[in-house]
Amino acid sequence: MFGFPRSGHRAWRSGAVVAAAVALAAALAACGSSSSAGSGSTLLFADVAPFSGPDAALGPIYLVSCEGTVNAINQAGGVLGHKFGCTHADTHSDPADAVTAVGNLLQTTSNIAAVIGCTSDEAATVVPVFGSHKIVSFCMTGQSEFDQIKFPYFYRLVPPDLAESYAMTVIAKNLGYHRIALAFGNDIGSQTFVQPAIAAIAKAGMKVVANETLALNATTFRTEAAAIVAAHPDAIMTEALGNADPTLFAEIKQLNGGHMIPLIGTSAAISPAFYTACAKAVGAADFSKNFHADNLVTATSGPAYVAFTKALLAVKGKVAGAQTGNFSTYFSAPGAVHLYDGMNLVALSMVAAHSTDVAKWQPFIATIGDGVPGSVVVSSFAQGVAALHAGKTIHYIGPGGPTVFDAYHDSPGIFQIDTYSPTGAVVVAGGISAAQLRAVEP
Amino acid sequence: MNLLESAIGFGVLTAAVLAIAAVSFTLQFAVTNVLNLAFAPVMTTGAFLTYEVNSRGVSVWVGLIVAMAGCALLSAGLNYFVYAPFQRRGAAPITLVIVSLGMAFIIEYGIAGWQGGINVSYAMSQGSTVRAGGFVLSTVQFMIIGISVLVMAVVHVLLRYTKLGKAMRATAANRMLARNCGIRASRVVALTWALTGALGGLAGTVFAIDVVSFNPTSTDVYLVLILAAVFLGGPGNAYGAMLGALIIGLATEVSAVYIQADYKYAVAIVILLAMLAVRPTGLLGART
Repeated sequence: MFGFPRSGHRAWRSGAVVAAAVALAAALAACGSSSSAGSGSTLLFADVAPFSGPDAALGPIYLVSCEGTVNAINQAGGVLGHKFGCTHADTHSDPADAVTAVGNLLQTTSNIAAVIGCTSDEAATVVPVFGSHKIVSFCMTGQSEFDQIKFPYFYRLVPPDLAESYAMTVIAKNLGYHRIALAFGNDIGSQTFVQPAIAAIAKAGMKVVANETLALNATTFRTEAAAIVAAHPDAIMTEALGNADPTLFAEIKQLNGGHMIPLIGTSAAISPAFYTACAKAVGAADFSKNFHADNLVTATSGPAYVAFTKALLAVKGKVAGAQTGNFSTYFSAPGAVHLYDGMNLVALSMVAAHSTDVAKWQPFIATIGDGVPGSVVVSSFAQGVAALHAGKTIHYIGPGGPTVFDAYHDSPGIFQIDTYSPTGAVVVAGGISAAQLRAVEP
Repeated sequence: MNLLESAIGFGVLTAAVLAIAAVSFTLQFAVTNVLNLAFAPVMTTGAFLTYEVNSRGVSVWVGLIVAMAGCALLSAGLNYFVYAPFQRRGAAPITLVIVSLGMAFIIEYGIAGWQGGINVSYAMSQGSTVRAGGFVLSTVQFMIIGISVLVMAVVHVLLRYTKLGKAMRATAANRMLARNCGIRASRVVALTWALTGALGGLAGTVFAIDVVSFNPTSTDVYLVLILAAVFLGGPGNAYGAMLGALIIGLATEVSAVYIQADYKYAVAIVILLAMLAVRPTGLLGART
């Protein structure tokens, strides 16, 4: 708290943060790490994500997913005599704070089976630390450096940010918009969308008429809103979490004669916290009528969806800090869906390897996720364990769909277009094909 | 829409909200000798007290009264249970700043524990949008400006024409001398904590109405603006705080027209630093 606006310090901070991360990684690696859990001990998924700061809504979403997943795993008998549990570390939406938080986590917590979360706010600084400790991480970052640098213990089931920028552009094009305003937060995670979006909008034959950077710790954005309204955009592409987007939307509505301008958000906008805040700020009917977001295709029916929703509903109301809005929004929230799949892949890999030693079970993540010829498709941890005990090889397809891991352990998925109903339920409004994405790719 | 004219209108609105907080903060500092960094979380407490009332279907304006009462109690309690014991033991001013920082965290995390880390809004209409020249403000925003002007007038009357106000000024100028002149300084200090706490509750609610969506950490950076306004005008000087708030409010909004908007709060800090370099006592001189 009491920090100054961050963007002015970005350059030296980046250097300091990277240096701190490298130093911490080296120091912690020197301490050594246990790669195999003691008999009967509880294995932990560590939710390393923002629980405070502008992106404070993200951590609790992942925690809901974690608690639901471990509950389902434990009810199915656990893994090799181990129960699972969840712990968390608050990164304060800040890469430097994240280094400290992870340092504390690793010093005070043993038996971490895998890390989940690690958003774009902190992934660049903490992923190397986890790697040095040989801890597998399923991250929610879209940062493009993870497409180009190999981190052996890093996995992600979400697309790179530039692909989301293209997806937002496709949505704008499909809806017939030509004049686009950009309003993105000044955090690392949001700013990564801006340049790809500008390039894709130009490629699609549309025009950027305003580009406002929102200081996430500012309290109002009236002048920014006025600049956007004055530019007469057909739609606004945006990601500014925390108070920023709800406040901006309310101010735009006021300055635009009480009318909303259509909004196109990222998949991060698919969360109960975001919907609730925006609906309260501008009215549920207005918001739901004017909002679209890209999101990865996730199951809305079938056995994987049933198992997933059952797992999450089992912990409804039991996770501290989680939103009390429309709980069904979690069923489409990328953080809930894809981390559930990631944790199931970890647990099933341990069972398949007959070991909690990461060196032995890690290779199974890709084979179970991507499948191998002759494997049996399973849609939940319980099904997977039963099949493995029956001596079969398995192919896990969870609510996030099948994985296709590349050399960097990225499995980007396929996009769809989501909207909200006035009650906050997520509605799938259409799909985005690979050809459509390629058409706007610069 | 002329962006500059609009920004000036927005700056006046920002200044109106900031002025209530800055005047309250500076009065508190002048009379009690505590640079209370927990003032911003007290504001947040006020905002959430109003939210609690409002979420039960009661008007925000009724909630505002509850917030003022609650924050008066909270502020008085902070003094009675925390700051006063330290002061009695001769704690240095910097010690009290650190203590107030600790209290800021305690209150802020307390609110987060109470409400969760969620973004909330009041259930209230912003009213119709009024366009006056380049100003584009809602009815509620004009009401906020009106409330602020009223508060400034009341503070002026309090300080100039009432016994309490004169006692506050005397205590601020020289507590020992005031005591020797028969002023019950400790009572004046206690009343000042309650009064500025009530104003903090008012400022918090008005702030929350203004920003529409808020959470337990919303006033973190706002404290920097309050400090900028207070020290720009002259620490301990209520009229200086009003002037400082006006300058800071206008500077933040108008600068957003010409430079990248996420630097607008940095502009406030630059103005403050320039003032401290040129005239360390602030625009309106030394503490009164």
